[in-house]
Amino acid sequence: MKNMSRRSFIKTGATAIAGTFAASSFLPKGWPALAGEKTGGYFEKEFGITDELCRKVLSEALSKGGDFADLFFEHTITNFLILEDGKVNRASCEVALGVGIRTVKGDQVGYGFTQDLSEKAMLAAASTAATIASASGQKPATKFAPLKTKNYYPVTTLLSSVPLESKLPLVQSLNEKCFSLSPLVRKVMVVFHDQERRILVVTSDGVKAEDLQPRSYLSSSVVAEKNGRWERSGWNFGGRREFSYYTPALVEELARRAVDRALVLFEAIQPPAGEMPVVLGPGVTGVLLHEAIGHGMEADFNRKKISTYCTMLGKKVAEPFVTIIDDGTVPYLTGSINFDDEGTPAQKTVLVDKGILTSYLHDRISARSYGVKSTGSGRRQSYQHYPIPRMRNTYMLGGEASPEDVIKAAGNGIYVQDVANGQVKIGEGDFAFYVSQGRLIENGKLGAPIKDVNIMGNGPKMLANIVMVAKDFEFAQGGGGTCGKGGQGVPVGFGQPTCLVKSLTVGGVRG
Amino acid sequence: MKQELYDLADKAIKIAKAAGADDCRVSINGERFVEISYRDRRPEGIKEATSRGLQVEIFVNNRYSLQATSDLRPQALKSFIEKAVASTRLLEEDPLRTLPDPKYYQGRKTLDLKQYDPDYKKLTPESRHSFVGAIEESCLAKGGDKVISVSASGYDSYSEQVLMASNGFDGYVEYTAFYGAAEMTAKDEGDRRPADYYVAIAMIRQDLPRPEEIGAEAASRTLSLLGAKKIKTETLPIIIENRVVGQVTSGLLQTMSGRSIQQKQSFLADKKGQKVGSEKLTLIDDPFIPGGLGSRTFDDQGIAAKKMVMIEAGVLREFYVDWYYGRKLGWEPTTGSPSNLVIPAGKRSVKEIMKDLGRGIFVTGFIGGNSNSTTGDFSIGIIGQFFEKGEIVHPVSEMNIADNHLKFWPRLVEAANDPYPYSQMRFPSLVFSDVVVSGL
Repeated sequence: MKNMSRRSFIKTGATAIAGTFAASSFLPKGWPALAGEKTGGYFEKEFGITDELCRKVLSEALSKGGDFADLFFEHTITNFLILEDGKVNRASCEVALGVGIRTVKGDQVGYGFTQDLSEKAMLAAASTAATIASASGQKPATKFAPLKTKNYYPVTTLLSSVPLESKLPLVQSLNEKCFSLSPLVRKVMVVFHDQERRILVVTSDGVKAEDLQPRSYLSSSVVAEKNGRWERSGWNFGGRREFSYYTPALVEELARRAVDRALVLFEAIQPPAGEMPVVLGPGVTGVLLHEAIGHGMEADFNRKKISTYCTMLGKKVAEPFVTIIDDGTVPYLTGSINFDDEGTPAQKTVLVDKGILTSYLHDRISARSYGVKSTGSGRRQSYQHYPIPRMRNTYMLGGEASPEDVIKAAGNGIYVQDVANGQVKIGEGDFAFYVSQGRLIENGKLGAPIKDVNIMGNGPKMLANIVMVAKDFEFAQGGGGTCGKGGQGVPVGFGQPTCLVKSLTVGGVRG
Repeated sequence: MKQELYDLADKAIKIAKAAGADDCRVSINGERFVEISYRDRRPEGIKEATSRGLQVEIFVNNRYSLQATSDLRPQALKSFIEKAVASTRLLEEDPLRTLPDPKYYQGRKTLDLKQYDPDYKKLTPESRHSFVGAIEESCLAKGGDKVISVSASGYDSYSEQVLMASNGFDGYVEYTAFYGAAEMTAKDEGDRRPADYYVAIAMIRQDLPRPEEIGAEAASRTLSLLGAKKIKTETLPIIIENRVVGQVTSGLLQTMSGRSIQQKQSFLADKKGQKVGSEKLTLIDDPFIPGGLGSRTFDDQGIAAKKMVMIEAGVLREFYVDWYYGRKLGWEPTTGSPSNLVIPAGKRSVKEIMKDLGRGIFVTGFIGGNSNSTTGDFSIGIIGQFFEKGEIVHPVSEMNIADNHLKFWPRLVEAANDPYPYSQMRFPSLVFSDVVVSGL
């Protein structure tokens, strides 16, 4: 059943996601290669999807008019390996195969999909999509030009070619490591997730784009007991990574963080309630940007005048040291894409340039409505959905201050280390994000650990209230960030330096 | 199509068995749906498809895996299942992973749950468009000159599902589902553009409100959010509106599963037979409500459904224990997941209760927030109406409540007389005393 709420939300997976490694330290030499070199022709070879067949189906999709049509083929294999109570005793595998067919007329969309890639089934789905228009038929391009883009996640070994025998010891070693770090650890759950998403986009204006999008993460959830009290926390690392990313050193670091995070909760309190200064630590706290501004900048909301940001383009929304970017081109990050799900090459889109609101995030429909080019932000969960403007990796650039100075400047307030989820109301700009871990700030210094507190704010007000930005920018290196909008989930990434927001409402327990 | 699904399930079990599986359980879904949305008095999107999916759980040498595919080409399916059996063998042994003892399949009720609407077949493209168009018109009319944007949508689907297990279970369900929805964004002061929505979901189309009511309700809800303010942090009584009560109870429900308890992630684990809420808190799991969105005669493991009192006058009575975690805990299985949930309705309307309370907040929505299943602590943003002397004064935004479930539910003082019919969670509005509402 669909949720009609226009509120968008973010979940960062079953466990916390974050990281302190700079992305660049994981870049292999020679990056980037060209996408399409190894992936081209997959759908033709495996499923007999020829240009001629695509043209036939597109012709049907445009048979009642329509400005534009596209085909989105998908073959995705998703695996989970799960360790619980010391044993890797559960595995799952899901295969999704299908094609979505879209006909666009102005801002109207007709859509059909089928899991049967036969000509007959595809023509039937295309004729469903075609009904959005009611004029004389159009013809698709006579030739399709293969799209060449940079490859932001080249892999040398496919995840699907790594045998289960190699994955099992990885999962087991993380479990053992977690237990070895503290006698207080009672339960550990480890998940290794890997996915290969193969897509082929063929458009009626002649673009043909084929990609292989890998995604994986390794996560650990730790339950600890101390004097009859129980606490739980976790950590994960991942992204558009191949198997060799998961080294013994990474496993060790992951275990240490998961266990440390669980143990510190025994000392944690829920903070006081009310408005106060909030310092966001580096990395995953970028969820705040995602909620406070990212969703409001998605062009469909602005085209319909239902975003609080719809009248602010070109205006000053923040101090000059604030630059916020949405970027599909960050190597190996979860939200990176070589091209979007409409066949537009990925790009780095500056949303706020030195305090000025500069660009919305566009898909093809909104770009045409605004008379601009698509920003490569048209994304979809699967072949069962049509694309809409979405974020990729959203981050704020670093500033000049040291993190210590930022904390000092806050005086009394709270410091946010880890964020579990967030949500926004696009029209009002009101947002919330859930702090699973942080610290009190007392007299400019970090104090007692805090946990389980929801923080509320208003997007435009929050942007104007960013008063200090530190130089310690980092990307969150978790692989489990999924953003939900209109009933569709897509992988996204975050990044942020330490920064100070003058005032937000902290949903604590005491007045 | 029923026979086709049965044949496919049968075939999948045969392939798995031939490949060496000791046992397996197959679930096959088929669905046809149409979804239409309107904006600016014309279709914004039309989506329509027929889809199928197969899921197979494999038990081999005390090892277990779950596999799902939408690639049902005969050769592809055969090789998918054979590969699945082979890779399952490589996992670690867990003797507790088996199909349920067939005795739990027994006692399945044979009753008509009224989940299939025979009038579904009479729907036409014209009737679908006029339904959605009427929702949009009524929302536009009620919203008047405050409207910035209205979108309306309608959905209908027909689904079939077969569940078959190799140790003697098979079940079939056929159901329809319908919804009508509208959302409106309104002009407010400054850059604020409040939005709200209304959606009604039912399995029989006749059970939906008239489209005019759906649109008008979405508009009224949105208009009620104009001029929202934050108030000072204060301890107040709150009334949580029926349709969003489920978001607070989810913090309780996630801790009531066998898995949460066995994995030490439940603050309710050792509370069976103890008070966890006030006398006003009774929570019933009722799988047999005619037309209920969660109604069923068996669960996804084939266990025969029964009505259960989960919490009785504040005392915790039952957990959701599936076969596997039941074996791990050494407990009798109940069922792995909730069906329909009911909190008995009270006698008074929200309006009457508001008059009586004088000053407080009527919570009509939540934003963000989460609940810690290990400790019971939660913190969640609220949207709603501040009332004084029994009358609504103004809407509130950017406010929050934080508490602990074990301290919160004992402060449930009343249930209103308005159970919400368009959800699996048929809850009335609930009243809680002494809640810290944080704002300025």
